Amino acid sequence: MSSTTPDLLPGTLQLLILRTVLSGPMHGYAIAKRIREASSGALVVEEGSLYPALNRMLVKGWISAKWGVSDNNRKARFYEITRAGRRQLAKEEGDFHDMVAAIQLVLSQT
Amino acid sequence: MIDQFGRKLAYLFTSRRSTDAALESEFEFHLACRADELEAGGFSPADALAQARREFGPALRVREDASAEWQFAFVERMFRDLRHSLRSLRRDPVFTVTAVLSLALGIGANTAVFTLLDQLVLRLLPVHDPERLVMIWTTGPHLGNNQGTRTASYPMYQDFQRRAPAFESLFCNFSTSAALTDQSGTERVSAQLVSGNYFQALGVTAAAGRLFRPELDDRYYKGHPVIVLSHAYWVRRFAADPRVIGRKVLVNNYPMEIVGVSAAGFAGVDPSRSPHIRVPIQMKPILSPDYDGLADRRHQWVQVYARLKPGFTEESARTSLQPLLHQVLEQELQEKELRTISPYDRARFLARRPQVEIAATGFSMLRRQYSTALTVLMGMAALILLIACSNVASLLIARSVARRKELAVRLAIGAGRGALVRQMLIECSLLAISGAALGILLAFTSTRALLAMLPDSGYQLMLRPAPDARILLFSCVVALATVLLSGLAPALAATRLHVWDAIKLATGSAGSARARKTLVALQVCLSFLLLAGAGLFTRTLVNLRAHPTGLNDLDRLVAFEVDPAKNGYSITRIHSFCDKLQVALASTPGVTSAAYSMVPLLRDEWDTIMSVEGHRARDGEAMQAYHNCISPGFFDALGVPRLLGRDFTVNDRFDNPDPNLEPTLAIVNRAFAEHYFGRTSPIGRHLGFGVGPETKLSVEIIGMVENSIYGGPRSGIRRQVFLAMQQANYAWSATFYVRAQGDPAALYPSIRRRVARLDPTLPVFKLGTLSEYLDETLSTERLIAWLSVVFGLLATVLAALGLYGVLSFIVARRTREIGLRMALGAPRKAVVWMVLREVVILVGWGLAAGLPVAYALSRLVRTQLFDVQPNDALSLAGAAALLIAVAVLAAWAPARRASAVDPTTALRCE
Repeated sequence: MSSTTPDLLPGTLQLLILRTVLSGPMHGYAIAKRIREASSGALVVEEGSLYPALNRMLVKGWISAKWGVSDNNRKARFYEITRAGRRQLAKEEGDFHDMVAAIQLVLSQT
Repeated sequence: MIDQFGRKLAYLFTSRRSTDAALESEFEFHLACRADELEAGGFSPADALAQARREFGPALRVREDASAEWQFAFVERMFRDLRHSLRSLRRDPVFTVTAVLSLALGIGANTAVFTLLDQLVLRLLPVHDPERLVMIWTTGPHLGNNQGTRTASYPMYQDFQRRAPAFESLFCNFSTSAALTDQSGTERVSAQLVSGNYFQALGVTAAAGRLFRPELDDRYYKGHPVIVLSHAYWVRRFAADPRVIGRKVLVNNYPMEIVGVSAAGFAGVDPSRSPHIRVPIQMKPILSPDYDGLADRRHQWVQVYARLKPGFTEESARTSLQPLLHQVLEQELQEKELRTISPYDRARFLARRPQVEIAATGFSMLRRQYSTALTVLMGMAALILLIACSNVASLLIARSVARRKELAVRLAIGAGRGALVRQMLIECSLLAISGAALGILLAFTSTRALLAMLPDSGYQLMLRPAPDARILLFSCVVALATVLLSGLAPALAATRLHVWDAIKLATGSAGSARARKTLVALQVCLSFLLLAGAGLFTRTLVNLRAHPTGLNDLDRLVAFEVDPAKNGYSITRIHSFCDKLQVALASTPGVTSAAYSMVPLLRDEWDTIMSVEGHRARDGEAMQAYHNCISPGFFDALGVPRLLGRDFTVNDRFDNPDPNLEPTLAIVNRAFAEHYFGRTSPIGRHLGFGVGPETKLSVEIIGMVENSIYGGPRSGIRRQVFLAMQQANYAWSATFYVRAQGDPAALYPSIRRRVARLDPTLPVFKLGTLSEYLDETLSTERLIAWLSVVFGLLATVLAALGLYGVLSFIVARRTREIGLRMALGAPRKAVVWMVLREVVILVGWGLAAGLPVAYALSRLVRTQLFDVQPNDALSLAGAAALLIAVAVLAAWAPARRASAVDPTTALRCE
């Protein structure tokens, strides 16, 4: 599975998570699933990266967590973006676009 | 940033467990969701869950990684390293204990000795502007009598005060003792007579009441019956009660008023000892009932201090004082006592010089007595620290060599080099910190123990047993640096090695062996120095203790002092009191005989210049005779054989008590008789007080006794002239001697009772055996001897440990070689010799380096020795022999291990 996944650029996992939870509170499994689906299966977030990243973002205060009940009636932890998270998302999105543009610029110079 | 720190802290202290549990259940949920999905895709429920788990990966690691985000990474890592280090130190207890103890001993010994040295020698006085404080005295023949060191006569002090150009606020003091009486009884206290400007000149403030002022307390002869208490005495005797100000007490039976308390921590010009009370100098006749002397130019007794005026140095102040001194001396020569002296004495008298010395650290007899000793001890303590450090260094080198294999393996399985170095660093720090902690503990106890070795002077000892923080820091830093340098350098080297090389080289390289051998040779050398010193000082103490005293059985000779004059006794009353007490003591059960004298043996000396019938003194010839006034029976009680003539009797008393009568009878000792009369009998010959043509030879020699000790073993046998106490016509304090039949201590209560029966208000002091008196005069020597022995043995043990370590290391390293030799037919004896040869070489190097150093150093302590030459062969040989013996002992186990090597296993082991 991992062999088909392109390496994520450093820092982009946080960006993806923030963008995903922007639409509303979501549990970890749903976040991973949404990223996979949104990228048409191109981006697979492994659990070994997802949960440490979520906790890192909790510590930084970009997201908050709350226990709730999932669609299938199970106890689940829902993550919600905070104001600091929105600010961070805006910043990282900008940075990302700048970088992609820069990389494309390099690639086009043949 | 701050929020983040707070959230981490909250995690650390409160929610660690719940966070882990939350992660756990979150994972459960994740797995369940994935399993649901897989089931929908056709998996059986059990397979679905198993597949979900497989996809999830190692849950434990994920959880650890996730919760790691909440932790202070540095702290966590440190705790892990700490646990690891503790485990690794525990695995090697001999190494750990030796290293920690070495460090602790080095730190403790240094701190203790330096703490005393600093307080006694180095520290400035706690007074205003101590750097400008000077002590002033004169040197050269005084043609009078001296009481104390560096003293001046009171009129001379006044001349300086009025006319010396270089000084402001000249002040003086004189230390003595007094009997202080209040409602709770009479107590003997140490007292200091001070000039009225004493406190102002030193810039000392009052803790309560007021201090002396020149305009109030230094105007009229005997006119200022006031006292100032020292802070410590105020606290001890009066519980710091402010109401004592204004209270009347009796000082030497004379009513005086307590007017104030001096500042806490202020001891006076002697930083080591503080008097209990201070009294204005004009009260001298009350404080010294035996002799007034305020107006006597031939009586030197006050110590003079002053502040240098701005612009003056020690040197220029001395020069400016010279003409003034000369003027004063010229005047003194016009006085009656000096008018007839010989031109030779006159010239020498006029050549007296003034001395001015910065007294920023004060002036202390305790310091003069102990500073050499403490300097010697400081040197020894420094050597101990050096040995301890080299020991630790050698241990650490060995350990890190032994651990190369472990390090290499850890590097090979992927440990970061930084992690390894960090762990080594923590291990070394652990060693250093526990060594330092133990050292601090040791410093506290050993400083106290050192203070306890100082004799009781009757003064309040002002030395604090708290170790000095600076030296503690210094020793700890030295220890730490040693540990880090010798522990880390090899570790770093080891991690730089190629992994495979390291594994191959695990048995150690030649370089580290050489380093360790050098360290061991150094330890042997230093131990030799300390042991040789211990030998010299111990022999000095033994020689002094065993020096013939001329007295019989000091252990059963009890002595004590009473000072009836300080309770206001007249001369006649003192005589009758002492006679009665002598009779009462002699008739006490358990007492063989009793007698008394004026000068206490082993504690004081009294000498004057005397003329001898038929002997013309040459210019400059020492005509001093050492005196004591004694009661009848004195020689019999002390066990001094009477050789010729008779003893004094009670009938030698003058018929009419005329205070102008001088003694007419004398008993001389053999040294005196042989010096002046050779082999002819001294009986019937005459002596006179003073020298010169007008001296009356009015004293008749009526007896001769065997030589006996006077001031102490170091001052040797003096030419002594004993006078009859019965003929003494001034107030004196008496020292009684009681010969005990059995246990002397058992007599103490009955002695106190006998005195109390005659006068319950009379304090008995310095009660003890003459043997204890002798020990007290030897306190410096005992301090040095004891500590040098302790230090020497410590050093030897450390060196032995070092030697043992290095030999075990060598044997282990050469196991293969030994096996090979034995396989080729080398006998076991040869193998043992191979190891012992290393010992001989190491010890030989150590001794070869130590001998010349010991020779040079021992010259520096020559003044501390007695009846021993600095290059005393016995001490040096003894030290060498002890070291060799210990070295062979230390080599024994490794040598046996070497000879027990089985060739086949040794060869197969690699």
